[in-house]
Amino acid sequence: MPERPEAPDEPPPFLGAWRRVYAATLVYLCLIVLACYLFTRAYR
Amino acid sequence: MRPLDWIVLVVTLVAIVLYGLYRARGSNTVDRYLLAGRTMPWYAMALSIMATQASAVTFISTTGQSYVDGMRFVQFYFGLPLAMVIVCATVVPIFHRARVYTAYEYLEKRFDSKTRALASAIFLCQRGLSAGLTIYAPALVLSVILGWPEALTTSLIGAVVVTYTVIGGIQAVTWSDVQQMGVIFLGLVAALVTCFALMPAHVSFSDAVFLAGAAGRLNAVTTRFDWHDQFNLWSGLVGGAFLFLSYFGCDQSQVQRYLTGRSIAQSRISLLFNAVAKIPMQFFILFIGAMVFVFYVFTPAPVLFHRAALESIQAAGAYPAVQARFEGAFEARRAAALGLLDARHAGDAAEQVRRKAAYRAAERDLDGAREEANRLVEQSGGEKNFRDTNYIFLSFVTRYVPVGLVGLVIAVIFAATMSASSGEINSLATVTVVDLYQRHWRRGASDRHYVAASRWATLFWGVWAVAFAGWVHRLGALIVAVNKVGSLFYGSLLGCFTLALFFRQVRGTAAFVGMLAGEAAILATAQFTDISWLWYNVIGCVVVVLTALAVEAGRPAPGHDAGFAARQ
Repeated sequence: MPERPEAPDEPPPFLGAWRRVYAATLVYLCLIVLACYLFTRAYR
Repeated sequence: MRPLDWIVLVVTLVAIVLYGLYRARGSNTVDRYLLAGRTMPWYAMALSIMATQASAVTFISTTGQSYVDGMRFVQFYFGLPLAMVIVCATVVPIFHRARVYTAYEYLEKRFDSKTRALASAIFLCQRGLSAGLTIYAPALVLSVILGWPEALTTSLIGAVVVTYTVIGGIQAVTWSDVQQMGVIFLGLVAALVTCFALMPAHVSFSDAVFLAGAAGRLNAVTTRFDWHDQFNLWSGLVGGAFLFLSYFGCDQSQVQRYLTGRSIAQSRISLLFNAVAKIPMQFFILFIGAMVFVFYVFTPAPVLFHRAALESIQAAGAYPAVQARFEGAFEARRAAALGLLDARHAGDAAEQVRRKAAYRAAERDLDGAREEANRLVEQSGGEKNFRDTNYIFLSFVTRYVPVGLVGLVIAVIFAATMSASSGEINSLATVTVVDLYQRHWRRGASDRHYVAASRWATLFWGVWAVAFAGWVHRLGALIVAVNKVGSLFYGSLLGCFTLALFFRQVRGTAAFVGMLAGEAAILATAQFTDISWLWYNVIGCVVVVLTALAVEAGRPAPGHDAGFAARQ
């Protein structure tokens, strides 16, 4: 099989650094879990 | 299905397949056939990953799951963003820099050939079983609609998918996935709009949501911890994270998707897009199931949604009593629902409490009647643990969705199957050729030879998937079955990759023994305990790591493979 060329690494297109993108994703997770919890409480 | 539905169905599917094949032209080298020449933009990878996950099972079974059990299945996806962050930060750059075709190729670089071979074999077992499930779901659709035997529809769908995958390779798979996600989104919105349009005039959107919640169908979060409960917040966050770590970090059907990216950043963004979009999408699909439930609060439903099963029990002596109980419970539930809405509109809190209790009691009675019908199916020679969960949404679509839209929804189910199944078969063929055939049987052959071998391997796995599809209907609700089968194998794979990435001192033999021990632990847990399947991945991963560390501690000082680890 032919050797694959190495893929280039690049900064993220937003927030400047991958760590910030990951942190934003985890904050989003917390918010969406909270939203689902509040939705459940509102309609049980 | 009316003529217009058939036209919509055929035109949609033909357009998707032709577009995929058009974009796949020139897939005549291994790199292009298996990895699209590493040219894919992030949005194509992202939609392809979503389409692969959103198989026909998603529409058929998830909506049914919500109808009978509420929305708590959404918690299963809470672990996804967590897993995506870990995969993006660790696995994605490592796989890209290792310049591998498959995830298991990396294991040989890190450990040895036997560990790679074992991981490949575990993947082939797991994904080979899942491929059958993926084809079976839409075959079920055609069986219900056309009244054809499931074996015939399974074979027909399998033939289309295999032909398409053999010719197009991963480029056809990925670009057709992009179109399919568009059709899927359109179909979902159409189904929900139709559901609301068919509600009684005096039932508003707010009322429908209220009634679904009062019946326990909007239970999106359950905070109580229970090892035996399949879906709660904790099993979703922890068990789900482990499952998705395994899925996106160790399962070639997903790894192959993001290895087609033109850069590490493109691959990461495609995965993070899924982290953000998947939970709302599943919430939306489950919400459709809950609204179908409310629709049937006001519209008489059949005792069972599986027409053939219902016909098989109608001659039974006990059936009239079951039907009478069902119809009585339906009327009671309907009256209680209307009373509850009146109390809600009047703002009478005490009356609401009383009406809600009556509504829930009628709902339990109706569920009891359906349980009795299920038992009658078993007693009349039907399958054990019969459930009609997978037929609920289809029954609604074919009975109540307007002409033309039926064809669109069925096209959604077909499109989803084609994307999921072709992706699975493509990845199975890749592992078979790259990790087994090329590694152990035929090294150093021409590029053309390996492309031909990949096409033959694709054909083999397609035939296998169709054969297995004939058996999977015994597994119960399809969406759960798919993940259950995966969980029997993922834990040991995840453990192996955890060792590879985070335990530099562990060498090949220890990892190999650890994987065997992890797999044994998972199978023993499944066989001898009633712990929920979402925990199998956690158990398997932990056993692999602990066993490997114990074996490594008892071995002589590091040799050549530790030297490799030090270079990573």
